[in-house]
Amino acid sequence: MQNFSYHAPATLGEACALMAEAPDRSRFLAGGSDLHLALEHHAGPVDTVIDLKRIAGLEGIEETPGGGWRIGALTRMAALERHQGLRAALPALCAAAAVVGGPPIRNRATLGGNLCNASPAADTATPLLAFGAQVEVSGGGVPGSNASRTLALEALWAGPRSTTLRPEEVLTAVVIPPPPTGGGANESTANESTAHGNAFARLTRSAMDIALVNAAASLTLDGSGRLASLTVALGAVGATVLSVPGTDALLGRPVDEALLEDIGKMAETAAQPITDVRASAEYRREMAGVMAMRAVGWAAAPAKGDTP
Amino acid sequence: MSAPRKIPLSMTVNGALREALVEPRTSLLTFLREHCALPGAKRGCEEGECGACVVLLEGQPVTTCLIFAVEAEGHKLTTIEGLGQPAHLAPIQQAFLETAASQCGFCIPGMLLSAHALLKAESQPDEARIRQALSGNLCRCTGYDRIVKAVKLAADLQYGHR
Ligand SMILES: Cc1cc2nc3c(=O)[nH]c(=O)nc-3n(C[C@H](O)[C@H](O)[C@H](O)COP(=O)(O)OP(=O)(O)OC[C@H]3O[C@@H](n4cnc5c(N)ncnc54)[C@H](O)[C@@H]3O)c2cc1C
Repeated sequence: MQNFSYHAPATLGEACALMAEAPDRSRFLAGGSDLHLALEHHAGPVDTVIDLKRIAGLEGIEETPGGGWRIGALTRMAALERHQGLRAALPALCAAAAVVGGPPIRNRATLGGNLCNASPAADTATPLLAFGAQVEVSGGGVPGSNASRTLALEALWAGPRSTTLRPEEVLTAVVIPPPPTGGGANESTANESTAHGNAFARLTRSAMDIALVNAAASLTLDGSGRLASLTVALGAVGATVLSVPGTDALLGRPVDEALLEDIGKMAETAAQPITDVRASAEYRREMAGVMAMRAVGWAAAPAKGDTP
Repeated sequence: MSAPRKIPLSMTVNGALREALVEPRTSLLTFLREHCALPGAKRGCEEGECGACVVLLEGQPVTTCLIFAVEAEGHKLTTIEGLGQPAHLAPIQQAFLETAASQCGFCIPGMLLSAHALLKAESQPDEARIRQALSGNLCRCTGYDRIVKAVKLAADLQYGHR
């Protein structure tokens, strides 16, 4: 392991200022479950590690008015997995958090670390993209940086293992909007009888493996069981986690076999997989369709749905 | 840029205060094994996959190979050396012994600590829950059936189900 100096500042301002001193040779540390291995194998020379865990206020899960959620970047997978309110409202996110490594990893790994590591196979990224989540980032008041700003989750990623953040910027929270009312034409009747559902599906060879493909769906059904909103996201089949475009064309239809077939085809078309040691591009493309069908099917029937 | 230097560190391990000067790159695993002379946590894959290095940090199982010792400043840790003594075994240790759930023993410290944390939180975990709670601890000898049996027995011993 290369040698470096270690800082555990108590404030965001100090953390960002330290980073701004030598951004090329410094790294932020959250749970360390990606960073340790990076420092050992592929991060290049690093002089300074800045631990974010002693900064107050970056951890926690809270429901916002209207049924949205705000989750601190330093919140651990184990906390997401266990949170009762979150499990009821956002089972897709809890299911994703619950498959990141094994329990000892989930007691360290944070949500912000999963997103900032910018792996296209980051499991929590897929449901968050399907929810239309935003991220709050802060430059900690460092001169020339933004005090804080909010961006759409998809705007966080520049490519595999690369974010669009300025070096001194810290991801502070993830904001999940309330589920869409799915109103459209009949807004007045939408609220009372609509039902929301979301689900996560994932393909791996074994429990501890990262996903070959994952998918998440978030949808709203109107009173007669027809789609009033639908978003589908796919992981590990592109340079970043990606959304399946064009799902609005399916609104108004019931979630039946024919719809699932169409979703599967759309996901296969949206996927831009590569061949690597884990799977071929061809297999990944086909499985992207299957995972998308499962996620949508489960999201529509949470009572029947049973996540892997 | 200040040159990397050693950092004074203090944490509570198995109830005793431990202090040392360590390089920031020293892993918590190395700190425990070499500075504290507690070799119970094992050096396995060193990539967080195998669970041989698991100890409890504030009661929760963690892989010490992926934690720098300095990150544990001020925290409370429990290693296998702190769980029970030969003359006075913890229920989970007694159960592994009675069930013959250990073969080569390399994975057992981590396995016991993960199981201990589970039984602290839940009094009657079913088989699926036990397997899930131990999914971060690999055993290449036993095939897990006896390990699962042992955890069930430990729940009985600990909570007086029998
Ligand atoms: C054995 C094992 C199994 C794993 N399995 C999975 C899996 O199944 N699915 C999966 O998705 N991942 C998996 N991972 C990867 C990893 O655990 C996750 O990506 C985890 O969420 C990373 O979070 P962390 O807090 O540990 O990040 P760290 O390692 O601390 O940081 C990761 C990167 O993000 C940066 N960073 C962290 N927090 C912030 C922040 N708030 N603001 C700005 N930058 C930040 C760091 O500088 C670093 O570059 C696994 C890892 C291991 C070791």
